[in-house]
Amino acid sequence: MIRNWMFPIIAGLLVSAFAWQGVLLATPYALMSKAMDVIGARAPANSFAFGELSTADNQPIVRPSPDLVYSSCVFDVSKGPVLVDVASVPGHYWSLSIFDARTDVAAVRSDRDTGGKPARLALMKAGQTAPQGYEPVTLQYDRGIALIRILFSSPAEYPVVDAIRRKSTCKQV
Amino acid sequence: MKTWHRFAACIALGLVGGAAFAVHQVRGDYADKQVHNGQWSANTNQGTASASALTRAKVALNGLLALPAKEAMYFITRTDSEGRPLEGRCTYTVTGGELDARWWSVTLYKGEGWLVKNAANRWSVAGNAPARDAQGNWSFTVSPNPTEGVWLPTGGTPHFDLTLRTYHPRGALLNDPANAKLPTVTRKACA
Repeated sequence: MIRNWMFPIIAGLLVSAFAWQGVLLATPYALMSKAMDVIGARAPANSFAFGELSTADNQPIVRPSPDLVYSSCVFDVSKGPVLVDVASVPGHYWSLSIFDARTDVAAVRSDRDTGGKPARLALMKAGQTAPQGYEPVTLQYDRGIALIRILFSSPAEYPVVDAIRRKSTCKQV
Repeated sequence: MKTWHRFAACIALGLVGGAAFAVHQVRGDYADKQVHNGQWSANTNQGTASASALTRAKVALNGLLALPAKEAMYFITRTDSEGRPLEGRCTYTVTGGELDARWWSVTLYKGEGWLVKNAANRWSVAGNAPARDAQGNWSFTVSPNPTEGVWLPTGGTPHFDLTLRTYHPRGALLNDPANAKLPTVTRKACA
């Protein structure tokens, strides 16, 4: 009896291990893909979508901060580098973060890192070349999200912050 | 029972069991590099290439596009200081001192991390909002109904969590988050 079940049980245990690991590995890609679809619906690929303030009625991604204003670009470097230029917002915390398709952070640059100057990153895959004046960021995957966060401490500041952030660009070479 | 029936049954059980265990883990509390400090927990490995598959999946589910620790530390609590789940019908006082970061805020979420509808259209308290006493201590209230002072509405959601964001953390917040001085969440009363 036990002999009859031994190999099927071993097979079941092996399958369960693969299923367990498969779900863990697939989850970030699936959720990132969904996020890229949601954000990508707001602007074409390789261009910034300048999101409105996060509220209970405006939550494109999980756990948004209502204290930050977000601008996001779904990029695709398969046809060439994507250049991201971020306008600095004086007196405010801001950062640009680059997330790959596995949700890993490939780069973060904040006003602390740039000394208040604009950030200029070239997103690319291996074998591509960054134009002069751009800091190269080599990615493991073709697609991902470039996200700008800007802190504002009162609603009265929003018009000024909004005008400055719209000078930021995300474009394919 | 034929041999292939036994294989089919065990493989089906393995498939469902393995997937269900993974979902249970992703929704559970455990993750590698998870730091606990009182009722607060944080992950110091999020967003990094060295994060485990489990950590990466948990962050994707509960905090997609979160920044790495050097840029921001996120502390989350789902319980008060006595370990009781946070309930939307109850009133809490959040008390703390100065936090060693460039900027901080506390935001209220329900479920996997969604802002809760409320009449005041208020979802967070920024670090510069509460008044300080002579020692630099501050407090604000989390409750379903308006109160005096700085108030963060629960919106009547059955359960919620609080996320403490600290941007450009320094000192113990970044290097020893398990022992950093963090706010306390004290339950006062429940409706």
